[in-house]
Amino acid sequence: MSLLKKIAYSRLSILLVFCNVFFTTAQISTREYQVKAAFLFNFSQFVEWPAQSFSNPESRAVIGILGKDPFDSNLEEIIVGETINKHPLVIQHFKNVDEITNCQILFINISDKNQLRLLIEKLKGKNILTISDVNGFAKMGGMVRLYIKDDKINIQINLDAIKEENLGISSKLLKLAEIVKTDKK
Amino acid sequence: MMANKNISIRNKLMRIIMLISGIVVLMTCLVFFLNDFYSFRESTLQNISTYGQIISNNSTAALAFESKEDAQEILSALKAEQHIVAASIYDAYGKLFCVYPTNYNINQLPTTPGVVGYHFTNTAVEGFQPIVQGSKRLGTLYLKSDLNALYDRFKLYVIIMGLILCFSFVLTFVLSKFLQRGVSAPILALAETAKAISEEKDYSVKAVKLSNDEVGSLTDAFNQMLTEIHEQTEKLNEFNQTLEQRVKDRTNELEAANKELESFSYSVSHDLRAPARAIHSYANVFLEDYGNKMDDEAKRLINVILKNGKKMGSLIDDLLAFSQLGRKELIKTTLSMNEIASNVWNELYKIESNRNITFDLEDLPDAHAEKTTIQQVWVNLISNALKYTRHNPKTYIKIYAQEKNGEIIYCVKDNGSGFDMKYYNKLFGVFQRLHSQEEFEGTGVGLAIVERIIGKHGGKIWAESAVDKGATFYFSLPIN
Repeated sequence: MSLLKKIAYSRLSILLVFCNVFFTTAQISTREYQVKAAFLFNFSQFVEWPAQSFSNPESRAVIGILGKDPFDSNLEEIIVGETINKHPLVIQHFKNVDEITNCQILFINISDKNQLRLLIEKLKGKNILTISDVNGFAKMGGMVRLYIKDDKINIQINLDAIKEENLGISSKLLKLAEIVKTDKK
Repeated sequence: MMANKNISIRNKLMRIIMLISGIVVLMTCLVFFLNDFYSFRESTLQNISTYGQIISNNSTAALAFESKEDAQEILSALKAEQHIVAASIYDAYGKLFCVYPTNYNINQLPTTPGVVGYHFTNTAVEGFQPIVQGSKRLGTLYLKSDLNALYDRFKLYVIIMGLILCFSFVLTFVLSKFLQRGVSAPILALAETAKAISEEKDYSVKAVKLSNDEVGSLTDAFNQMLTEIHEQTEKLNEFNQTLEQRVKDRTNELEAANKELESFSYSVSHDLRAPARAIHSYANVFLEDYGNKMDDEAKRLINVILKNGKKMGSLIDDLLAFSQLGRKELIKTTLSMNEIASNVWNELYKIESNRNITFDLEDLPDAHAEKTTIQQVWVNLISNALKYTRHNPKTYIKIYAQEKNGEIIYCVKDNGSGFDMKYYNKLFGVFQRLHSQEEFEGTGVGLAIVERIIGKHGGKIWAESAVDKGATFYFSLPIN
């Protein structure tokens, strides 16, 4: 904990000292979530859900956000009017994992790893594609992790986790991603 | 081609065959070429569209997740198709995302995506294809292919076409050279035979039949005609010969009969002359010696005997002269007809100088004839003119001549009693007279002699007259 705090503090001090660096980072951050929002939607085009994922043929397809919403209005703008298998796409914010019933893509903005592990366990069997930018998310049993490397957003995919939830994923997508496995503990 | 009428049928046939086969081969090649050209165009479009489909399908994820490296890698697969010279991917906002080949000049690429679909330009095939994942349009693919494949195909076709044309031309030439013989050889053989026959006039030659087609029947018909011509020519020759022989025989017979007749009339008139003279002389002597002892009736009777005896004598003389004409050969010289005609006139006029006569002698051309007989002609014609104008108070006699159609026509015209043209056919007959002895004396031999003489000279004699309107006698003599 103290280590984390230290890092946080040092980060803050660096941000404060290097104002222009902060500004740049802030810019990157905005651009980062724009792209991530687009990616979030694009996953819907390269992933297939089993029929039981939708409660009925008319029900909506849901991109859920658990935790704080980092996208502002970016995601809203992208998905407006879009569908998954003819199910109209909507955004739903969840505060608690128990609220989640009908959901296809879930962006998890929770950094506490224990909480995450619990969460991943709870989501099993619900055919939800879980996405997060938390470090080690995919290796923890999450499905997709987005991370920045060389000024570019990269994708890490836990293929076993996806298959367990009966989700189909396009080989074209896999080709772009780094495939990882769940760490055995 | 057909315009040249001097070409042999052999060459005509070959030209026709080669022209037709050339056109057929050319048309066939052209049809193949066009068909191939269009299908190749179609397949080029199909090809580029297929490539586009594959590339756009593969590049969806790269575009969705902004992986330029991946997109680049996908585009680089186009290396396998050497004709695709450029390709580019535009993102959903129309921004250039990725270029192939990497060193390609971006300025030559369209700055923004255009209308979907491929089309031909002058030098290339190019076009745009949407990149779609599910129902979401992620971007646009641009592909550009050169037309070298098409041009290569074109060149290959031209070469193949040229080769086929050359080969078919040679083949047609050789084949037609051999095959046309079947058609042209019998015709040429027939033509040769016909030419030989017409040159040598030998109708016994036969054309050789080389085939059983129409030319064969033509040859048969030709030979049939030749046979007929040959037979008819032979018959004609034979007939000609017999005819000639018959003419010769007849001529000989006629000549013999003529001679017989002439010698008969000559001997008759010759033999009759002596007794006639004897009758005349003895009657004369009888009148002189015993005239004073006779009464008037006896004297009158003796005078009748004398007169008839004299007439008989002159008849016999004329007959003798007439019959002698046929026996003699003509000895022709150049005669001055002016001289002869005027001499004859002077002699005859002496006797009748007391008459009122206007004599008109125009200039006469010379004649090539025998003198004595022509003189006889003039004597007979002029004396006739004088005789038949005797009862006219005023006599008019005119002698003139004219040249016409290679002969000279001499004319003697008078204003005497003339004759009726309906008796014209009797005019030149021996002993034929149109007037009575009491009106005008004569034996009826004069004009017959004239006709005979003119006939022997190869000329003609004719006359025109009407009763009391005078008469004109014409006789023609050939010049030379």
